[in-house]
Amino acid sequence: MTTLQDRLLAAHACDDRAALVGLYTEAADTAGDIDAACFFLTHAYVFALEEGDPASTTLFQRLKAEGRV
Amino acid sequence: MAKDIPLQTLDAVRQPIETANGLPNAHYIDPDVFNVEKQAVLCANWAGLAAAADVPELGDAKPIEFLGIPLLLVRDRQGQVRVFQNICRHRGMILVSEAKKIEGAIRCPYHSWCYSTEGKLVSTPHVGGPGHNTHDAIDKSLLGLIEVRSHIWFETVFINIDGNAAPFEEVHADLIARWSDFDQPMYHGGADSTFTLEVKTNWKLAVENYCESYHLPWVHPGLNSYSRLEDHYNIDEKGKFSGQGTLVYRQLTGDDGAVFPDFAGLDEKWTEGGEYLTVYPNVLLGVQRDHTFVIILEPVTHEQTREHIHLYYASPQTNDALRAKNTVQWRGIFEEDVFVVEGMQKGRHSPGFDGGRFSPAMDGPTHCFHDWVAGKVAEHLGAP
Repeated sequence: MTTLQDRLLAAHACDDRAALVGLYTEAADTAGDIDAACFFLTHAYVFALEEGDPASTTLFQRLKAEGRV
Repeated sequence: MAKDIPLQTLDAVRQPIETANGLPNAHYIDPDVFNVEKQAVLCANWAGLAAAADVPELGDAKPIEFLGIPLLLVRDRQGQVRVFQNICRHRGMILVSEAKKIEGAIRCPYHSWCYSTEGKLVSTPHVGGPGHNTHDAIDKSLLGLIEVRSHIWFETVFINIDGNAAPFEEVHADLIARWSDFDQPMYHGGADSTFTLEVKTNWKLAVENYCESYHLPWVHPGLNSYSRLEDHYNIDEKGKFSGQGTLVYRQLTGDDGAVFPDFAGLDEKWTEGGEYLTVYPNVLLGVQRDHTFVIILEPVTHEQTREHIHLYYASPQTNDALRAKNTVQWRGIFEEDVFVVEGMQKGRHSPGFDGGRFSPAMDGPTHCFHDWVAGKVAEHLGAP
């Protein structure tokens, strides 16, 4: 079974930004602390913005709730 | 040295056509003079950049380098065509390196600052430290993309790079009025209706050749059978625009007798009339009852020009074979002009050439263009 890190690297390697949104969200959800979570949420949010993915709204709200945007 | 452009030579250009000289050699072969004209003529006025059809759909983005400036042509989410400097406000990185569809935001590939298609800075990831996406020192409202003033006319994107020209509609009011019949929808013929010619010439020589009909019987003998020299007239509105018209425009017909549909509600003069004008500085336009064309001259260097040709029709759907035939016909005519503009460019290296003398009867449109260019350069150099 591939790790999240492997899947992230694979998605980056083929520039699969739609997948990166989900993978970074998953990384945020499993992060050990809020700073790490917001780091990953930021990446998920940026790729969602770029892709026009409606998930960007939810991701923005999560960052906003932590005072990060 | 650019500042050494002698004002007296510009004065000689601006004399009445009977005594005027053409622009001297330096305006064609000297890189320093080219740089002066970049500022005085191309950046200070409304220069043609692209066809609006280059970004046909919402979110389409196309990077274009113009006069060495990296620009980004975008059709935003509202359908408005905009031109930005193609750089991130953070580190000046090129934002978009190839034509693409912007699905959501324009993301800088360096640190991922994101911009909307309207140019607004919408995200600055980690700008306040990891996972912190704001910082008091970074006011997003002040750091949107740098927009270049633009205006669409004749399905063409015109830009005023220095931002100081009078509004397009004001500068070109007389031309817009002259061709008000064609102020109606026109449709790009698509991929088979555009082509580019690489020409080893200064961009102004392409304008000059296009403006006048004097050369037609010699360079385009194929036109003689139906479009003789005496069927043409000069158009030279001093300080505004110049070109030529024909009284015997003949519609192209297909093997089956098909013709293109006409533009709606045209005045009777267009039944057999056609006009070919330069929108100063660098856009060549042609109008006829059933199609129009636009040639955007891209000044690549002082001795190299890229001609971007686009053909337009009155209807979004036209006969494929006829459209292809029309493209072939125009391409042939424009290619016939290449040896002329390249030959004149080579000729400009002859030290004895004094800019030349004009035929008062035939060269009015060219002189009109020279007068305009010389006036803009003189103004830029601070002539009284």
